[in-house]
Amino acid sequence: MSGVRTRRQEWLGRHAAKRRAPVGTLLALSLHTVRMQRRGAIIWGVVLGLYSAAMVATFPTIEGMQQLDQLMQSYPEGLREAFNLEDLGTPEGYLDSQVFNLAPLALAFFPILASAGAIAGAEERGTIDVLLGNPLPRWQLVVGSFIATALSLLGIVALMGLFSWGTAVLLEVDLSLSTTAAAVLNLWPICMFFGGVAMLFSAVFHRRVFAITIPGVVLFGMYLIDVLGKVSEDLEDLRPASVFYYYGTAIKDGIDWTHFGGVTSVTLFLVLLAVLAFSRRDIYT
Amino acid sequence: MCATIETEKLTKTYGKNRGIRGVDLTVDEGEVFGFLGPNGAGKTTTIRALLGFLRPSDGRAWVFGMDIRKKSVEIRERVGNLPGEFALEDRMTGEEFLRYFGRLRGVGDLDHAWELAERLEADLHRPMRRLSRGNKQKIGLIQAMFHKPPLLVLDEPTGGLDPLVQEEFLEIVDEVKAEGRTVFLSSHVLSEVERVCDRVGIIRDGELVEVEPTDQLTNKAFRHVSLTFDRPVDPKPFAALPGVQGLSAEGTRLSFTLYDNLDEMIKLAARSRLVNMEYERPSLEEVFLTFYGEGENGGER
Repeated sequence: MSGVRTRRQEWLGRHAAKRRAPVGTLLALSLHTVRMQRRGAIIWGVVLGLYSAAMVATFPTIEGMQQLDQLMQSYPEGLREAFNLEDLGTPEGYLDSQVFNLAPLALAFFPILASAGAIAGAEERGTIDVLLGNPLPRWQLVVGSFIATALSLLGIVALMGLFSWGTAVLLEVDLSLSTTAAAVLNLWPICMFFGGVAMLFSAVFHRRVFAITIPGVVLFGMYLIDVLGKVSEDLEDLRPASVFYYYGTAIKDGIDWTHFGGVTSVTLFLVLLAVLAFSRRDIYT
Repeated sequence: MCATIETEKLTKTYGKNRGIRGVDLTVDEGEVFGFLGPNGAGKTTTIRALLGFLRPSDGRAWVFGMDIRKKSVEIRERVGNLPGEFALEDRMTGEEFLRYFGRLRGVGDLDHAWELAERLEADLHRPMRRLSRGNKQKIGLIQAMFHKPPLLVLDEPTGGLDPLVQEEFLEIVDEVKAEGRTVFLSSHVLSEVERVCDRVGIIRDGELVEVEPTDQLTNKAFRHVSLTFDRPVDPKPFAALPGVQGLSAEGTRLSFTLYDNLDEMIKLAARSRLVNMEYERPSLEEVFLTFYGEGENGGER
């Protein structure tokens, strides 16, 4: 038996390949994916940044409009709360209602599309066999892609913040850098949560359409639950089931780090499930 | 000598009909093994199972003595793989792609990649979307070989390559073999298999039906015989010989395919004055089509 073992060890030794440390392959994969996402991330950041900057630029025109305040006060309280319309007289309140209340509905599609493309998309494009022909554990494809998407999303929100704050400085709108930073950073966990949902379905199925559609439905479903929960007392108990419940209004109240950490933890759990699911299934091309 | 690849009743089924069943295969160190079969026979399924992309339904397999279910990453460290449907990210150039794979494999010195690119006349500077199928295939071959793996697994390696580049590739395979490395080559281009492979495995409808040294496979088969006499001879005794098929008589010449009874055929021919005899081995393609050419069901598995 020991003779057999020695022979096998010799055999393996003769064919030993230079192996890169796991952290090295993970880093290489993540950086490559960031590079592939770079152009898309810049476009997302510039488009959302320009929209946000436009909202900042319009604030001076509505500042002090008493008719607008009166109009808002005439709305039912639940409706004002649902759409964050209670404090339009300050830059923070105005941007919260016009930008940051709705931004996750658009921005979440960046991590959704990126995560759906990482596995199911690579299978559909037929690129996954050549990539996994390298000594790359499957978990690294999931985790590396997710890290890259998380970094790209940080870049997008940073651009959004710079456009907003830069416009505020230029037009002398009273909006501090720290407030703007809190507002854009607060977008990160909620959007990554939907990226996590997409990664899970990308890992379970090999169809990109499922990995986009299902998180998309979850996104709008959760938004609806949160809005209706604010409007209707009967539905209020459902709100904690929606990730939007934990989103808050960071531009006015600062980041709730408990919620920030909680949502991030749930997202990491989704990624863990994705790793487990992807490790156990066939790869399709 | 140890087996580089060994499978034992390897089975992979998808639904009811497709897949591979009970494949027992051994590929020895340092040999060039040709894996032949029509489209849909199970070549790609076998390769993808060996590399850990598909989970076998039954049976076992080892590459370098390592279980494919447990040591997939370690196996892929030692393997250079060209997938059958080779596709890359459209925006990347060949050079970017090779540098990226070099980083994934911890290979800093890409001199061998540049050397292969020169030999295969690969364009490394244009994005993939602007390359023809043949030029993409060259990049695929380079990425499989640039890190000098002890085992090359190449699924339809010459698809889209022009004849000169095909010949250069086959020379590279010869060099790889001379270095003692192993090549597992799936193809339905029989001429290239015949040119470089030591042994051939033939898979049909998901089952391995034959494993033979390439020359034995062609030797054991039929021969094309052409006999020229000094005057026309009666073809009937030749046609009546067991093992003679497809006989045609044209003037002083008789042509037929001989499956058996060489001795009797020679003795019969010797009764007349023979002025020329051609006795040709069939190509591997003919052998394949004759013995294994039926039952294709289309669509690669």
